[in-house]
Amino acid sequence: MSALIGIDVGGTNTNGVLLKGSLVLKTVKAPTNHANLHAGTQEVLTQLLAALPEKERGPVGLHLSTTLATNAIVEGKGVPTAVLIIPGPGLRWEDLRVPFKLYPLAGAIDHRGRETGPLDQAEVRAAVRAAKAAGYQALAVVGKFSPRNFQHELAIEALIQAEFPEMAPVTLGHRLSGRLNFPRRITTAALNASIAGIQAEFVRMVEAVKDQYQLGKIYLLKADGGTLALAESVNRSIETILSGPAASLMGTMALAAELEDAVALDIGGTTSEISVFSGGEALTEREGAVIAGFPTLVPAFFSRSLGLGGDSQVTFDGTEVAIGPQRVGPPVALGGPQVTPTDAVVVLGGAALGDEQKASAALQAMGAPFGLEPRALAAKIVAAFAQKAAAAIRAVYAELNNRPVYTVSQVLAGTDLKPKRLIGMGGPAAYFIPKIGEELGLPYEVLPHHEAANAIGAAASRPTFAITLRADTALEKMVVPELDYTAEIGQPFTFNLATARQEAVRQTVNYAKKMGLVIDSSEIEITEEEVFNMVRHFYTVGKNFNLRAQVKPKIRRILPEQADA
Amino acid sequence: METKTKLGLVFFPAFDWAIAPDHPEREERLLYTRDQIREEGLLDLPEIAEFRPQIATRQEIERAQICVPSVEKVCTESHLIAAGGTITAGDLVVSGQTERAFALLRPPGHHALRIVHGSRGFCTINIEAVMVEYLRQRRNGRLRVAIVDTDAHHADGTQDIYYNDPDVLHISIHQDGRTLYPGTGAVNELGGPGAYGLTLNVPLPPGSGDAELLYAVEHLVLPVLRDFQPDLIINAAGQDNHFTDPITNMNVTAQGYARLTELLAPDLVVLEGGYSIEGALPYVNVGIILALAGLDYSGVREPELPPAAKKAGRVHDAVVKNVAFLQEVWAKRKETDLAAVFGRDDYFRRKRHLYYDTDDIHEVQVEEIKLCTQCSGYRKIHSYAEDRRRKQAQIAAVLLPWHACGACQQQAAEAFEQLCAEPEWDDVYFQNPADLKQPLVSRARRGKR
Repeated sequence: MSALIGIDVGGTNTNGVLLKGSLVLKTVKAPTNHANLHAGTQEVLTQLLAALPEKERGPVGLHLSTTLATNAIVEGKGVPTAVLIIPGPGLRWEDLRVPFKLYPLAGAIDHRGRETGPLDQAEVRAAVRAAKAAGYQALAVVGKFSPRNFQHELAIEALIQAEFPEMAPVTLGHRLSGRLNFPRRITTAALNASIAGIQAEFVRMVEAVKDQYQLGKIYLLKADGGTLALAESVNRSIETILSGPAASLMGTMALAAELEDAVALDIGGTTSEISVFSGGEALTEREGAVIAGFPTLVPAFFSRSLGLGGDSQVTFDGTEVAIGPQRVGPPVALGGPQVTPTDAVVVLGGAALGDEQKASAALQAMGAPFGLEPRALAAKIVAAFAQKAAAAIRAVYAELNNRPVYTVSQVLAGTDLKPKRLIGMGGPAAYFIPKIGEELGLPYEVLPHHEAANAIGAAASRPTFAITLRADTALEKMVVPELDYTAEIGQPFTFNLATARQEAVRQTVNYAKKMGLVIDSSEIEITEEEVFNMVRHFYTVGKNFNLRAQVKPKIRRILPEQADA
Repeated sequence: METKTKLGLVFFPAFDWAIAPDHPEREERLLYTRDQIREEGLLDLPEIAEFRPQIATRQEIERAQICVPSVEKVCTESHLIAAGGTITAGDLVVSGQTERAFALLRPPGHHALRIVHGSRGFCTINIEAVMVEYLRQRRNGRLRVAIVDTDAHHADGTQDIYYNDPDVLHISIHQDGRTLYPGTGAVNELGGPGAYGLTLNVPLPPGSGDAELLYAVEHLVLPVLRDFQPDLIINAAGQDNHFTDPITNMNVTAQGYARLTELLAPDLVVLEGGYSIEGALPYVNVGIILALAGLDYSGVREPELPPAAKKAGRVHDAVVKNVAFLQEVWAKRKETDLAAVFGRDDYFRRKRHLYYDTDDIHEVQVEEIKLCTQCSGYRKIHSYAEDRRRKQAQIAAVLLPWHACGACQQQAAEAFEQLCAEPEWDDVYFQNPADLKQPLVSRARRGKR
């Protein structure tokens, strides 16, 4: 097995790891250089490659998790972007809660993908001209129900390429997701269009040094913990958002002793992140990631953020301790202004951190008016922290177990997600996790603080992608929006679920090929499937099928004792 | 500050249940509605939250209805989930979790009568009644409810259950019964002796559209609701008045439904019928959801509107006349000489023939209501049913109303014991919705089953 490098460019540090199979050969850490992201990354890369034994030399694969897309969106660095929308009837387009300039166009597609209103080419031209004149540099095109019929989006793309090449390429909504959700598709496509230029520039820079470092295939980590080929990322950069948290979860999966049905709590300074594992796999968001407050269709791991961390504000009214959600900055022990949960831990001797005297004095001042000595107050703070975290974890499971289901059999079966163990991560985890585990009545494990966990997660991941197949035998038509694929159904009367499954697998294999991957059909799974008899005027006129297929997610297990070396 | 969620949506399309594969009440019915709701992104709106339905218990069903021979024998799980989901919706509103709720689920229930021998008009369990009885029990019977049924078919089941109940106002607006199943729902059906005038029926001539429906709402329903002052307004929202519906002859549009919802401002909406699953339901449901959530619904329209909708304006004479008649009934309901309507005996008797179209069952029912000055009076029902295989069922039931007076309670108990001693009944039932643990007692006769 050839060697593989994983690099996670984090907010503070850039971590890198050199893997061979399940062994960690070397880990490297360097401060992230925000002025020049590439400089830090190249330094890490150079050090890792230097650790490669002579006989292993040759092209080395690289898995990169960067904050490029996330930061570009959160900091609003993307270019000004407008969206040409084909809203059709329904919720008024003026009421869509999307943060982009919208140019509405005539035309409509209905829920079965039939055109119920034609596109007006002259209107499209006028809209593009208006967007250009208003200074928009990137365009996305999104129609309602475009995953069912994307001909309008394709026609607009062709028009822009032919008549406004300076505005090309445009992002088309249907290619990014086959799921139905017009507002999320608008946001996803617009964000993608706004950062496409930044991504293209990044890809050029990486490609430029590829030979110098003798790199093999290069992949970027995505929000769902899978990877995306570097070249393809130019078209789908939006999928690389939130790769940091994904790398962290992948690292957890690669390193944890046992996951099965675990709940993971990553305790940070300001917030804590709750993730859920079921049957050893991390749960994913039902619709897609939310970034900077905007819901998207980008596949992502499920996580819920809780305004509770080591630096949270602590208040005490004589009976009740309240913590968070505000952060008040570093703990008093480290020179901060106000009492934090970390100070309570320091006073209890749980962490040798900063000035214990200062922390103790601050707790003394807080407790004295109520006759509470510092250690007693500290215990109260830690208990309140644990109760709040435990309540949030219970709420997450209640939310998951109340997710709506649409069949009788699912209601009867019930969803019984229950955590069987608690896994803690993050700086303050060691002290709080046992208390939270006690509160929840769960066995717990604190993952040793591992600088390279994110980099290991990036390296341990592999390509993932999903396609949507919609077939309608009454209309004798099938589409795979992600692939621009439209075909007639030649024999509608013999087209059945088995045919639909085969077609979905075939399309997924083809997609993989297009991206330069060799994937066997046995590695593809159907994740969703629906088939409905269509009856009109008491006669069966056909069936419609909705399927989703994906490459089975897999992760490389990393031996922890080696990782610590 | 966080504001309360406006609309709780209990969506349950029962994608794995059908009466029969090509029956209108089949798996596909809410598929396109699901697609439209998802594509519009409605579930991401902060005004709207989705909830999973609960499963109704036997007691919850038996507080509202009497299933012959038992709940288990006439219900599928899907019926229990539809009734349970409606309870979930009711709970959201009464507990204050959401301002309003919409039980968008199937199968429907408004043709299901007090006594249930099987399925009629695609309905087995009256989901509105199960929910209302659940909520009343939680409030110890102190709940005044108005049900406004706007399905194209007369809500004969709900009317039957509440026609002698002084705390439940039932108004049904529907296509004239002389032209459509189930045939009832004439203007002169006005309720029993204990609740005279609290059953109102507005038949609309075939071809009626938004103008007629909204006229009845504005000129009759809204003033009556203002008078009645209910704690809870429920709209049983059938969507088969739509101009594309295959089994009715009406002309209502999605805009008409949305406007109706806005005017009525119901606390709860419950889906009933509606079988134009592609042309109507996706648009009507989005219109209702937006109106309930207080959002602009003016952009909701069908791909093609009916030619008649364009010249809307003049309201059909028959509707104006019926509304005028009912306005007068309502105004004078308290002065009406009930003896002239229900007789001067101790009991008011009626005999009806009832037909179960879905299951092909014929039933003859004889009912006696005690004319009581202290409460709405206990009831006695004899029911003789025969299905198409000539299998017969003969049952008797004694029903106590909420807030039954002492005399009625005693007489009802005696009547029950007497019926149990009579040899001809397969089962004898005693229903008391106020009984917390056991709202229905049944005695199966040995050797009969």
